[in-house]
Amino acid sequence: MSMNFSEFKKLLAADPWNRDSETLRARNSAPEFEQAAEEAEAFEHKLQTALQVSPPVDLLADIKAISQHPVQRRNWMPLALAASLLIAVGAVGMVWKQSQQWDSVEAYLAEHYAHDGDTLLGRAAGSVSEADISRIMASLNASAGQQLKGQIKFIKFCPTPEGRGAHMVVSTEQGPMTIVFMPATQVTDGEMVEFNQMHAYLVNLEHGSAAIIGRRSQPVENLEALVRNSLRTGMVGA
Amino acid sequence: MTGDTDKTRRFNELAEAYSTDLYRYAMWICGNDALAKDLVQETFLRAWRALDSLKDGGAAKSWLITILRREYARTFERKVPLFTDVDKVVVADDDEPGPEERTERALLRQGIMQLEPKYREPLLLQVVFGHSCAEISAQLGISKSAVMTQLFRAREKLKTQIQKDGVTGNVHELF
Repeated sequence: MSMNFSEFKKLLAADPWNRDSETLRARNSAPEFEQAAEEAEAFEHKLQTALQVSPPVDLLADIKAISQHPVQRRNWMPLALAASLLIAVGAVGMVWKQSQQWDSVEAYLAEHYAHDGDTLLGRAAGSVSEADISRIMASLNASAGQQLKGQIKFIKFCPTPEGRGAHMVVSTEQGPMTIVFMPATQVTDGEMVEFNQMHAYLVNLEHGSAAIIGRRSQPVENLEALVRNSLRTGMVGA
Repeated sequence: MTGDTDKTRRFNELAEAYSTDLYRYAMWICGNDALAKDLVQETFLRAWRALDSLKDGGAAKSWLITILRREYARTFERKVPLFTDVDKVVVADDDEPGPEERTERALLRQGIMQLEPKYREPLLLQVVFGHSCAEISAQLGISKSAVMTQLFRAREKLKTQIQKDGVTGNVHELF
């Protein structure tokens, strides 16, 4: 089955230097295919030129110096700023924690997510050790299955309407989403709640519940099976 | 002693081979030259400490990218970087481009910075490091088909942006 023109252009846009036999055959099959390939290559050259940036002249020397003096190399100014920021954030966090009174799970999710939800999505580019996931989940009397562990990019403890829970950022093909595990809170199973620009799908678990939070364009309910199958609760000694 | 010398030699080879591309990647990921330099230095500091764990020299590039991405994720938590004027750090054009080409490059640079991270990251891994779709898939932990979709959309967005911003002439023909 040979590639049609639309498929060929799509492939070019995804992988312009692809030289496998099928692509080459398609490229040579008609003049418009050849022209599209040449245009894609021309665009790549422009892209590569646009991305050229020159590193600071002292970068390589500074890096090589690490092997001579491998100490933490950050200068103090950013650390001082970070420390100030940490104190300020800590103060705000304390005020926030002291004012936890929610009429509903929806109100809790809205306030909790507004607190740091978007910021934590930035952790989707990172990774977290399985040991850390296990440790946090075990302390909440729960455990995460291998599939869920593989998708968790960030996890931390967080307040929930009834005690401590876990805030997780998971990677999905639709972009990072958030799962809040509430070990002692029951929700209306399968309910979709909306707040700000987000929506959350609520899942009742054997013990407690979870909210799968994403932008309204993200199909949060698609993670229901993952949560039900991989988030095991009430596992004493897990 | 020989071990230390060997470690230093390996480390310097890695720095020479990858520091420029890592800086370029960091720059386009975070949009800030000072932070990009910081990220690359921090990456190599961590690499130095863990160099003994790198058994396969062929995996060095991916290993360094992984360290840098983790470090960026941590940094992103600490502060949202201010954007640099990219023109300050772009390589001078040897080919003396005409006004139309200069405008087009500027629009591309602007467009790259405006791409959502999920589109920008795979595009940078492909263009800056020459990663294949399979390598990007492994690096980002998403499926190869998702990578291809994101790369396709990234380029479509860039082309749409340039078109929207009114570049005329042969660039239009690309679309």
